[in-house]
This record gives sequence, structure tokens and C-alpha cells, in this order.
Amino acid sequence: MLSSRSLFIGLFILVAFMARPASAGAFRDALGRTVTLDGPPRRIVSLAPSITEILYFLGLGERVAGVTQYSTYPPAALGKPKVGSYVNLNIERIISLAPDLVIATVDGNSRSVIETLEAAGIQVFTTNPRNLFEALDTIALLGQVCGATRDGAAAAEALKVRAEDVAEKVRGLPRPKVFVQINLRPIMTVNRDTFLNDLITLAGGSNPFSEEPFAYPRISLEEVIRQRPDVILVSSMDRGGRFEEARREWLRLEDIPAARNGRVHLIDSDLVDRPSPRIVDGLEEAARFIHPEIPWERP
Amino acid sequence: MILHRRVTPGKVVFISMVMTGILAGAILFSLWLGTADIPFSALCRTLLGESTGGTTELIVLKVRLPRVLLAGLVGFALSLGGAVFQALLRNPLAEPFILGVSSGAALGAIIGIMLGFSFQFGIPAFSFAGALVTILLVLLLGTRRMGMESSTILLTGVIINAFFTAVIMFFVSTSTDSRLHTMLFWLYGDLSQSHFGQSALIAPVVILAAVVLYGFGRDLNLMTLGDEAACHMGVDVERTKIHCFLLVSLMTGLVVSLSGLIGFVGLIVPHLARMAFGPDHRLLIPVSAIGGAVLLIVCDTFARWVVSPSELPVGVVTAFLGAPFFMILLRTRGSQWNRS
Repeated sequence: MLSSRSLFIGLFILVAFMARPASAGAFRDALGRTVTLDGPPRRIVSLAPSITEILYFLGLGERVAGVTQYSTYPPAALGKPKVGSYVNLNIERIISLAPDLVIATVDGNSRSVIETLEAAGIQVFTTNPRNLFEALDTIALLGQVCGATRDGAAAAEALKVRAEDVAEKVRGLPRPKVFVQINLRPIMTVNRDTFLNDLITLAGGSNPFSEEPFAYPRISLEEVIRQRPDVILVSSMDRGGRFEEARREWLRLEDIPAARNGRVHLIDSDLVDRPSPRIVDGLEEAARFIHPEIPWERP
Repeated sequence: MILHRRVTPGKVVFISMVMTGILAGAILFSLWLGTADIPFSALCRTLLGESTGGTTELIVLKVRLPRVLLAGLVGFALSLGGAVFQALLRNPLAEPFILGVSSGAALGAIIGIMLGFSFQFGIPAFSFAGALVTILLVLLLGTRRMGMESSTILLTGVIINAFFTAVIMFFVSTSTDSRLHTMLFWLYGDLSQSHFGQSALIAPVVILAAVVLYGFGRDLNLMTLGDEAACHMGVDVERTKIHCFLLVSLMTGLVVSLSGLIGFVGLIVPHLARMAFGPDHRLLIPVSAIGGAVLLIVCDTFARWVVSPSELPVGVVTAFLGAPFFMILLRTRGSQWNRS
């Protein structure tokens, strides 16, 4: 992981000197394929909400030709043509948008879609960040590939400094047991293969379900009680009544430390499960909930 | 029919007592087994009101007990409904969902989930409203001036079921990932976050329905001979049909609005009861109802325990355990269906 990161950084510096902002050149993507571009792409289709966020963050909003159904941030992306949801893409729609570059994720998009698009003569660049720092590397990489005017590498570096600052502040502190709830009913949580797990660890907590065999396991209420978590973070977009209902239910179970101490919090799921620039906001928010004893700077 | 095995009130009481004993055993078993290891002695002390403190008390009294009660009531109601519908429609495939109540309830619940309503009140209310709409549709479309004819009402129910299922699939296939899990678990039956309040709400309805339906036992016996024969023997066939249909449908709608769709219990338990004790409804109704409670409590215990610390939807377990067991009995004893 470390070597690939330094390889990426090396590549950025190299390309930065040669060809910024024009992005003509050959780029290696997450599947090890080489994608050759004649110049900066003008019509980009994003196949995941996180990629849409990165493109707008890099100032490429004008050049985005299509986005997925749940690309809800920034609000400007809502007006772009939709190409289906990232697990259920409409290939005909993508082709009809005549993109000169499609950006996909290895994790969410199916290989067959990528192959079909390539057979139709469309360039596809794949990304596959596995943790928070790789997500930030992806920002720099896409800045290069798309020939962004904003310096992606510098922006990614600034985000990394913020993330490292959080990790530094919690270093050596006791690690509270954090139960992350990603679905209210049935109760579901995350294992080590998720961004949320990475966030909890970097924010100085420990996830009791990190060794579960599936990424998003369903967990029984009884098992949560048995684990006696110190903090419960509910990752949800249901910020109104439903979260309040779930919070009340947890607080009722006074025997678990999180309930006794009122430490049941809502965290915006878009900030913590998308590998986008905002994931650092999510990390800082999680850290404030897990280690309230640290004098954090208020955002 | 009634002659080949005489059913006396004493026999009904005796067999019901034995079944209730089995039910008590199932409840204890279910309270004892789970993700967290709780010694049997600690369980007994907690149940006897002794404060054992800490996690044991919390898990037994606030997590397992409400769930066992709800599972029991839901199983009781579904099997009771199945036994009555099998007689009413004279069809061995009948179960409480066959006339579409389940799909109406499911559609209501899914609309409630999509609109972001609360789990405790909003979604059950939508679900029950969906069930009511279906019952009304079946009544309006399936009955004619002459009254309720079994095959017409059956076909009406099946078609409404198919239509609502299509609407459900439309919503499921266009919904966001985050809502999808909630919807699917509702469709497979989910008792994982039960409250005493739910049991307190349905218990009076279910018990009242059971008493009234038990009163129809003799009429249902005669109706298995055919509507005309029953009519000659003094049964008000139309009244019996309408009352039983409404009572079972309302009870089923209320129960599934809290539990989600739990299949199979309402189909196999009445058949098992018939295989064991013969076709007299004065015995069949109480045995099916209590047997349904036992089956669902046992299945829900497995659902909680087999893949612990995760959980299975209880509907998966009822079919997985129920189907082979049912097949074995069917092979060895026959359905007993035509002996009535």
C-alpha cells in the first residue's frame, strides 16, 4: 500500500512537470490497464457519487457530461444527465452522451459494463481506493488524468495533513469501542474492509465487528448489547424522526455504556462511506464523537 | 367425518393443555438460547423476578422476551387463519395470505419505508391500511349477488396478489440501496426489534378472533361437505363465510403489519394438526393455533442463533425446517385431506 502510494506520488510529480494542465498521455488505472488520452477530456461521465464529488472538487463540473442517480453532492450535480445507479447502469444512455472519458470504480461498477463500454470505443479509467489515504490519492490522480486546472495533488496533500492531524491527536489515547450502525432495521454494521472502519480506527476508536466475514454484516441486537460499546455512531441520511427513534431505543438499554452516557450520535452517511474529499470532514466529525475530551477546533 | 374419531370437549381440553405445555417449553427454550450465553439457572432467577443485574436481565427481559411473545402471537394467528381458510375455501393450498392480504400489507409497508416513516407507528399503520384496502377489493370484486363463491374469491385474491406483487417489485427495483435492506427484510419477516407494546396491541385481537372462530368450528365442519349440504343442515353459509373471511383477514393484516411476511406457518401447521388429530375443526382450530405459536417460536430461535452474531429472516427458517418435516409426514401419513 505504502509503495503504491509513493509510486503514485512519484508519477504525479513526474507528470506535473511534463504536462499540466493538458493531460495528454498514458495513465495506468486501478485494473492495471493503460488509458491513453490525446488531450484533456471534455465530456466526462462519472459512474459513482464519490467520483462526481471528486470531479466537482477539482473544478471539472463544467466538463461532467453524466452522473449516477445518487450523485447528490454538490447540488449542481443534480442537474446533470443521469446514467442509472452505479450498480445498475444504463449503457445505452452512457454511449448516447458521447463521453471521451468514463471514470468507474472497481468496487461498485461491474466489469462487464466496463468491457461493453470499451467495445463501443469509449475510454474507461478505473479507480479503486481501499482506504482513506488511497481515496485522497485518487483525487490527485484524477486531477492529472482529467487535466484539472486546480492542483489536485496539492489539494489532496492538504486533506492528508488534516487527516494525519486527527490521527496524531488521538495517538496513545485509550480506544473506545465504537459500534457503527449503517442500517436501522435490520441492524447492520461494517467490517475491516470498509471506509467506515478505517475512519473509526484513524479517529482513535475500535470496531468490535472488524473481523466479521462480510463487509456489511447484519448483527443481532443481543450481540450489540453483549459487546457493550462505549459509543454508537448511526451512519444514516434519515436524520429526522427515524434516527431519533433509533436513538431513543438505544438509550433505553441503560446497561450498555454508550446508552448510560448518552453517547449515541448521528453521522451523515455521505461523509463517511464515500471515498470523496468530504471523507476528511467525516473523519473529523467521527473523532469529535469518539474523543470529546480533546479540544478540537470547531469547524 | 365426525364419527371416525369422536371429539369430546374433554378431549379438546386435554389436548389443548398438552399443547400449552409444549408451548411453555418452547418459550423457555427460546429465552435460554441465543447469541449471549446465559446459564439456565440465571434465566430462571431472572424470570422469577430476582434482580440478576447487568446484561443478563437486559437481554432476557428487554430483548428476548418481547420477541418470543410476538413470535408466539404471530404464529398463533397465522396458523389459526390458515386452518379456517382451508375449511372456508375447501382448498388444501389455502393459507391466510392466499386472498392477497399479505401483498396489500407489504405494499403499504414498502410505501411507508420509502416515505421515511417511523418503524414503530408509521410503517405498521401504512401496512395495516394496505391490508384493509386489499380486503375491501377482494370483497367488492370477488363476491356477487348470490354471495361468496369459493373459486371466484380465490381467483380474485390470487390476481390482486399478483398485481400488488408487481407494484412491490417496481418499488423495490427503483429504491435506493439504503432502503432496500429494510424492504427485503420486511418481505422475509423480521421480528428482530420487537416490543411489548406490539404484543399488547395484537394479543386482545388475536385472542378474541380465536374465541369467535372456535365458535364457528361446527359450521366449518359441515361446510367441508359442500355449501349445499351445510345449508341443509342449518348452517347460514353466507354469514359464516363473510364473518370468517373478515375476521381472519383483519387479524392477519394486523399481525403482518408488525411482523412482516412470514410464510409457510399458516400452510403447514393446520395440515400437521389434521394429520395428527383428524379433521374436526373443534380440535383442529386450537391445536393449529397453539402449534403455530410453538413452530414460530422455535424457528425464530434458530433464526437468532444459527448464524450468530448475525441473524436470518425468520421466514427463511420456517420454510427450511418446515418443508422437509412436512414432506416426511406427507409421505408416511398422507395429507388426511380427503378423509373429511
